[in-house]
Amino acid sequence: MSDPNRWIEQLKRCEPLAERDVKTLCEKALEILVEESNVQRVDAPVTICGDIHGQFFDLMELFNVGGDCPQTNYLFMGDFVDRGFYSVETFLLLLALKVRYPDRITLIRGNHESRQITQVYGFYDECLRKYGSVNVWRYCTDIFDYLSLSALIDNRIFCVHGGLSPTISSLDQIRTIDRKQEVPHDGAMCDLLWSDPEDIKGWGLSPRGAGYLFGGDVCAHFNQTNRLELVCRAHQLVMEGYKSMFSDQLVTVWSAPNYCYRCGNVAAILELDEHLNKNFKVFEAAPQDVRGVPAKKAAPDYFL
Amino acid sequence: MRAATGAIKGEDNGEERDSLYPIAILLDELKNEDVALRLNSVKRLSTIALALGEERTRKELIPFLADSNDDEDEVLLAMAEELGRFVPYVGGPAYAHTLLAPLETLSSVEETVVREKAVESLAKVGAELPEESVVEHFTPLIKRLATGDWFTSRVSACGLLATAYRRAPAPLRAELRNLYRDLTHDDTPMVRRAAAANLSNFAEAVEPEYISKELTAIFHELTQDDQDSVRLLAVESCGPLARLLPREDAATHVLPVVQKFAVDKSWRVRYNVAQQLYQLCEALGPDLARAELVPSFLKLLRDGEAEVRVAAAGKVAAFCKLLGSDTVVSAVLPCVKDLAADGSQYVRTALAGVVMEMAPALGKAATIEHLLPVFLSLLKDDFPDVRLNIIAKLDQVNQVIGIDLLAQSLLPAIEELAEDKHWRVRLAIIEYIPLLASQLGADFFEEKLGPQCMKWLEDQVYSIREAATQNLQKLAAEFGPDWAKEHLVPQVLAMVGNPHYLYRMTVLVALAALAPAVSHDVLCHSMLPVVVSCAKDKVPNIKFNVAKMLERLVPLVDAAVAERAIRPCLLELADDPDTDVRFFAHQALAACDAVTAA
Repeated sequence: MSDPNRWIEQLKRCEPLAERDVKTLCEKALEILVEESNVQRVDAPVTICGDIHGQFFDLMELFNVGGDCPQTNYLFMGDFVDRGFYSVETFLLLLALKVRYPDRITLIRGNHESRQITQVYGFYDECLRKYGSVNVWRYCTDIFDYLSLSALIDNRIFCVHGGLSPTISSLDQIRTIDRKQEVPHDGAMCDLLWSDPEDIKGWGLSPRGAGYLFGGDVCAHFNQTNRLELVCRAHQLVMEGYKSMFSDQLVTVWSAPNYCYRCGNVAAILELDEHLNKNFKVFEAAPQDVRGVPAKKAAPDYFL
Repeated sequence: MRAATGAIKGEDNGEERDSLYPIAILLDELKNEDVALRLNSVKRLSTIALALGEERTRKELIPFLADSNDDEDEVLLAMAEELGRFVPYVGGPAYAHTLLAPLETLSSVEETVVREKAVESLAKVGAELPEESVVEHFTPLIKRLATGDWFTSRVSACGLLATAYRRAPAPLRAELRNLYRDLTHDDTPMVRRAAAANLSNFAEAVEPEYISKELTAIFHELTQDDQDSVRLLAVESCGPLARLLPREDAATHVLPVVQKFAVDKSWRVRYNVAQQLYQLCEALGPDLARAELVPSFLKLLRDGEAEVRVAAAGKVAAFCKLLGSDTVVSAVLPCVKDLAADGSQYVRTALAGVVMEMAPALGKAATIEHLLPVFLSLLKDDFPDVRLNIIAKLDQVNQVIGIDLLAQSLLPAIEELAEDKHWRVRLAIIEYIPLLASQLGADFFEEKLGPQCMKWLEDQVYSIREAATQNLQKLAAEFGPDWAKEHLVPQVLAMVGNPHYLYRMTVLVALAALAPAVSHDVLCHSMLPVVVSCAKDKVPNIKFNVAKMLERLVPLVDAAVAERAIRPCLLELADDPDTDVRFFAHQALAACDAVTAA
């Protein structure tokens, strides 16, 4: 069996890869990701997914509902790591699928795919605990720098982790960003990963301390300028799994059910068929009997 | 340990030095400032010990470890665990007592997980000790722990008494029993708790005469402890203790305690009684159980606290096996009917998990009259886990009342559950379909459930669609190729025009699943052309699945058909612009070559 197939099988059992395999996997992933555009072109049909946050068994539930990769095409809009118990297995599985089936799965960057954030919200500690060193964290965070910033489906649907930026009015401006760096504290690249839609007019300050709030007029103008029908993003917990805003010009998709194992929300994925018909599929957290026992019982400090 | 490292490095023999170099590093790392490195080294202590040899392990490594007890808890935990496996490395059981010193220190530390691991390892080592070491080293160690100033060591002593008792000679045994009694009278509740928790464990090691003579008195005292957490743990040993005692002793010593606790004012205590009750009945025998414990059990089934009802409801079927059918109908069934309508979903879930197992105890007539209504109502429960628990045990009722009757009463419920909004419920129903099919017969099945089996192929959830294809395969195998040709193949083929790629994909998978169960004629003339036509689909996912499915069809058709119909299609796919289509086409072509060559 070839390496990527073997890695995929192993990771699907929620067994982390050996450190040297992670290194090889990341090297192969880098070769693929470096070729991708900041606005990566994706063809329909494709199933769009939001935040996963290391909830490995809920990701398996997502595949149960949406279908396995490569049978179903997937686009994941970032925030693969942090908060859940299995960030390592979750991110490496998605990355291994990317390496084996680069045309069937697209991964774009979320605000948690960053060195600074992962040191606070759990991915760093998890790597240290599972490998006894931070090498795996280094390999992964180096790969984060190469993840694309957004995706464009059939030139009609724009997908990004957070939202829009006041410094960006056309997709071409995104294409000129030099993305191969740690997520900056401000500027266009930061906004794309941090901003949130809000029922306001124009732009507002974000309570998150990074990115902006943007209103329906901003979104409508952006869609019109770029001949888009929809902005699709993740980044915010939605109890119902998905939420349409601004007269269906924008939708939030959230794919981590029972977020942090305690929020009680359902999750959703957005299935687009080959004619761009939309179908939201809602799912719940995996039942207890298909989950493994978490590696450590006590909740760490970063846990809410 | 520096000295030891130096000595190894100082060896003249160059080859040996090279092979020992990694060991020298591990030894150095045992003293490194970085916790991660120390931890890594401790986890490989056995490697170090092997390299040092038995004597130096005893004389240098173990004393060093005994001194390094002020490390991080994580390191101490790893050390406690490793030392439990260390008997072979110090020279076998004869020298195993050398391991006691470091483990003794670890079993007195403040951190509970480290202490518990150290006790676990001490028990492991203790079980391997020869008798003279038990007398000379192990028992004195327990005495030191049991009389330690700090409660942590006394807690650890409670966990070791059983191991020592089994290996100790008679005179020492009396001392150990006294030690245990002292611990159950300790001033610190934590110690009494540990003693209570270890009661059944210790009783298993003690001779039967002393259980009756001494331990029952201790048990009685513990059940009257003023701390309810101690009483709680004492209750847990009711079952095991009753099993170890002669029946009449159990009846005099344990039974009254249980009856008293079944109405204790603390629900946690009652909960523990509910957990223990069945085990106790087994120990006391059915006659005594019926006479003495059924009233307690019935009371627990109607307890005011949901948690207690959950525990009791979970034991209801086991209990019924002890009782005669009459008692069940008159006493237990009314409770069961109430529980089926209980306000707590967890009570209903627990009941649903076992209620079907009551059927054999009741017999056919009573099951139909009393039990069937109960589980039909549970099948319609609002809470999915309740429905799932019932479906999972349907076969138990089959055996008692027969499938015909079951099917009649069940079919309406199944038709409803087939479209349950919870997909795992739908999945459980699909998995039950082949069994139902074999009992219902082709015609009746087709009329009642045929259309539903097709509908599942277009389910919103992928796992259901996949299960639906496997279900079709099993149905075809059950009812034969002619039936499949008429009732499955045309219906599946008609779905290939679905505008959504994921549903077209299910059709392909379903066809491949049916292929081995239909005639060669149907395969080549009805199914194969449709699969081949899908190679023209505009979605790459469909195209590479055509290649995958053709690969599965190749061994089922004549070489001539493979050459004429399959190979040209695969050759075309092998030139596709999409990488994955090309990959799977090439893979299928290789399979094609293998078959034609053979």
